[in-house]
Amino acid sequence: MSSDPDQLRATQGRAPNVFRVGGWVPMREYRDSEAVDFVIVGTGAGGGTLAALLAEQGFSVIAFDAGGFFRPLEDFASDETAQNQLYWTDKRVLDGPNPIKMGGNNSGKAVGGSTVHYAMVALRFRPERFKSRTTLGYGADWPISWEEMWHYYGIAERQINISGPLNYPWGPKRPRYPYRAHELNTAGKLLAKGCEAIGIGWTETPLATLSAPHAGPEGKSPPCVYRGFCRFGCSTNAKRSALTVWIPRALAAGAEVRDLAMVGRIETGSDGRVTGVHYHRDGAWRFQPAKNVVVAGYAVETPRLLLNSATDLHPEGLANSSGLVGKNLMTQTNAAVWGRMEEPVRWYKGPPSLAITEHWNYDDDKDFFGGYCWMGQGPLPIEWVTVQTGARGLWGDDLRRAMLDYNQMIGVKMVGEMLPNEANRVTLADDLDQYGLRVARITYAWGENDKALVKHALEQMGASIQAIGAKDMFRQEDDTAHLGGTARMGSDPRLSVVDADCRSWDVPNLWVCDGSVFPTVGGVNPSLTIQAIAIRTADRIGRLAAAGEL
Amino acid sequence: MNEPPRYPGYDVLAKRDTPSWNAKTRDVIEQRLATPNAPRFFSAEEWRVADALCRRILPQTDDEDRVSLAALLDAKLFADHGDGFREASMPYMREAWRQGLAAIDAEAKARFGGRGFAILTDRERDALLRSMQSGEVNGARWLGLDAKAFFERRILADVPPLFYSHPKSWNEIGFGGPASPRGYVRLDGDRLDPWEAAEAEPGQEWATDERNRHVV
Amino acid sequence: MGDTLERLRETRGLAPQVKSAPATRPPQPVRDPVPTAVVTAAQRLNRAAGVIATSVLIDSAMEHYRGNFHNKAMFTPLIASSLSIAVSLHGLSDKRHGAHPLRDLVYAIAGVTGAIGTGFHLYNVTKKVGGFDWQNVFYSAPLGAPAAMLLSGLIGFLAERVRDNEPEGEPHVFGLPAGRVVAAATAASLMGTTAEAGLLHFRGAFHNPAMLLPVTMPPVAAVLLGAAAAGDAAKARKGARAWIALTAAMGLAGVAFHAYGVSRGMGGWRNWRQNAFAGPPLPAPPSFTGLALAGLAALALLKEHAHE
Repeated sequence: MSSDPDQLRATQGRAPNVFRVGGWVPMREYRDSEAVDFVIVGTGAGGGTLAALLAEQGFSVIAFDAGGFFRPLEDFASDETAQNQLYWTDKRVLDGPNPIKMGGNNSGKAVGGSTVHYAMVALRFRPERFKSRTTLGYGADWPISWEEMWHYYGIAERQINISGPLNYPWGPKRPRYPYRAHELNTAGKLLAKGCEAIGIGWTETPLATLSAPHAGPEGKSPPCVYRGFCRFGCSTNAKRSALTVWIPRALAAGAEVRDLAMVGRIETGSDGRVTGVHYHRDGAWRFQPAKNVVVAGYAVETPRLLLNSATDLHPEGLANSSGLVGKNLMTQTNAAVWGRMEEPVRWYKGPPSLAITEHWNYDDDKDFFGGYCWMGQGPLPIEWVTVQTGARGLWGDDLRRAMLDYNQMIGVKMVGEMLPNEANRVTLADDLDQYGLRVARITYAWGENDKALVKHALEQMGASIQAIGAKDMFRQEDDTAHLGGTARMGSDPRLSVVDADCRSWDVPNLWVCDGSVFPTVGGVNPSLTIQAIAIRTADRIGRLAAAGEL
Repeated sequence: MNEPPRYPGYDVLAKRDTPSWNAKTRDVIEQRLATPNAPRFFSAEEWRVADALCRRILPQTDDEDRVSLAALLDAKLFADHGDGFREASMPYMREAWRQGLAAIDAEAKARFGGRGFAILTDRERDALLRSMQSGEVNGARWLGLDAKAFFERRILADVPPLFYSHPKSWNEIGFGGPASPRGYVRLDGDRLDPWEAAEAEPGQEWATDERNRHVV
Repeated sequence: MGDTLERLRETRGLAPQVKSAPATRPPQPVRDPVPTAVVTAAQRLNRAAGVIATSVLIDSAMEHYRGNFHNKAMFTPLIASSLSIAVSLHGLSDKRHGAHPLRDLVYAIAGVTGAIGTGFHLYNVTKKVGGFDWQNVFYSAPLGAPAAMLLSGLIGFLAERVRDNEPEGEPHVFGLPAGRVVAAATAASLMGTTAEAGLLHFRGAFHNPAMLLPVTMPPVAAVLLGAAAAGDAAKARKGARAWIALTAAMGLAGVAFHAYGVSRGMGGWRNWRQNAFAGPPLPAPPSFTGLALAGLAALALLKEHAHE
């Protein structure tokens, strides 16, 4: 059988072909004496996408990932506990009045990043939210117009092959999703009924998993088999993650992927430009020179790396003249209302969020800022018991008895906007990880607007499932999901870390391309927006290079 | 817990050689079922306290085929198979458990006339745990570890998932179980694929048992 | 009058009546006659109806099994289509003129079952949350499937009406030339079946170019048949015959394509208990074959009587 995912796989001129059991694709390798055009740190929604698109434009690219190169067809068990292997479980310190739960909640460690375990919800920001300060009076403006972002969303949706509804109820008209929406399970249908009962719209969720077979130049995938283990790794390759979409393209276009390679420090020269990265791989620290470095480790590891790369010239960390690296950390509220139905639901069948409502992203009749959506749920047994213990504090016989109702439960869970606040931040703790690097300290507190938004959502969500007969309802109030903000994008170098092209103001050959660049986090899951930004960044880099401005 | 089985006759393990399980899943579950029932991480004393604790957090009756949660907890800590993070006021998982178990034992001895946690009655243990959960327990015995935080963030976060990682629990709640390459055809809650667990209506237990035994 | 009676008796395979002496032994059947052109046309239509009914039997069995036969009425199309197959086979070996009352009855039952089935399916779609929206039209009871049952009944009904004609001269159905009626009915039926296949292939996002075949070939066949039905029968082009024969082959090729589609599901044929039921329906494409056969029968009728 194929090698153990704890061993290097992208090595010796080849990398795993995830579409074929035991298969390999040839992989170009670069010597560590040659400076490649781009080193990318992290291969998720930002880094994986950029690696593919830069390589396809002819740049030499090495994409590093601290995680292993999984073969979904062979390595993924139908087991929640075993699939812990997909998450970032290295040391981190949580701080603040409302510490953010990390690990499997929001952090992946794998080639493909968090997209390997994500729930595939592929949503667009409402246009106004790209200018939330000027149009809606809160947060910060993005330095990119909504028209441009919507253009790149269209490209992303086509390339990722989103399966979505023929008529999307909200926002400006968007091009047809490449594949049709999935069939709703009972959990999805109940969300729909609940929304109708309280008079708001709903739709089938646009999902990054296939509703029909797909054949691309890199390989074939079957459609979703509705097994329900989406958040624990898709063992059929129906899920469109960076591992099945972008990394194969990157490899085919001549990029090198270095798995199990932890970048610990970015090196800078006396001219203040980056010169390459120090990384730990195969038992030793090594150095890879590069003409450009892109940091794409998501909103905790990206600022951590920039801070850990401090030098005498940059004592506050790289690209940090604004002082904003690590600040304005945002997560999204992920509160939920749960209840029990008379009829069996059996939510374990299919992706967890087959139906969604974005009504409260588009309706501004509220006395707080920001928006939210909510979607159906389908927690597997361990996920579910964690809700029961966390939200209800159940244990003992009470817990075991409550779990017997598993097949009748219904739940709706929100993704809600939280506002940027400089006090919410990633800094360096004194704890050291297994590589000897200072770990991230993640400090978070909810603001008044955040609390008001959650309160509203809990009432709305509760009303919707109560209206369809859910009993013994209870709330899960503290949950959060997703990350962003810690290397924010802007048009003013004093107020941001990177510009609209994701290029850092301070260091012209240092870029950040992941959720860290979000000035606001919006009321939708971030993965599609991250990929759209990466596609735009690849475009912009191509133009800048052609104009000699790299 | 004395509840009649809701899914009589259903055994997820009976589907092991069907398309619902793949090789990797079989390996993983086999390893879990073969977890040695002896400590590799805990000391003998810690093991006794952990075992007594697990038996209260997720009680199983004597006539059940008991799953040793202490064994699974010990294995988890031995492999350091956790979420990785710690809250600022707490140590990392392994250290937290050692401290917490020692503190629980010390707390028991202080409250119950020198008797350690492992030899308390069920009722006494439950009372102690409840007082931890409600924040009434604190003090020097806890050496800076917050008892409520330990209860919520370690005990409740780590122990119940151990039970629900065992196929026996999946049978009990009627979960479809492993599902690869074969997932589900009929996605509605009231339409079952032949390989799913049927819930017994009152009076239908025997028929449902028969049906569930032949689930493949 | 007597001559006519004589001819009628002859065509029903009866011996010429001996007017004088009483029969001393049962009348001998006429030596196995070659079927007349009318009967041949009718038999072709029996065959077409039978092919569609076979597709309906297996398809409704699989789909209603997937629906767990949760409503007892879901057994009806299995019964009706089985009976249709039986009477179609009967009609295939029956060389006599005249509509057969039992065949007529079964085909009528098939037609009615199809109509009622369409009602059931429409109810199934519209009662779900969202009503008549894409989600329910895609994933609830397929609206066009019971129509196939109706079509097999219709073709069978036409078979009996054609058979219910004199052996000499152009057969008529409800006063109109049979060839034109069958051609028109088949053309309409092909368009309906194309709509159903098109809906499901659209659901599949036409992910494979071959999925375009059933939404391009049958409509062309329908236009050719429609032209033949309405226009100068003498001008029914040879090309029409070839195209419709090709469409018949397309229906059979569809089974192979669908089998490939089943193998494209996760776990392939080994996971048939999921992929054969969630994947493309194997028994559905031959309904095009059955319709094409009816179309060929119509063209033959038109050709024979082109000068009339």
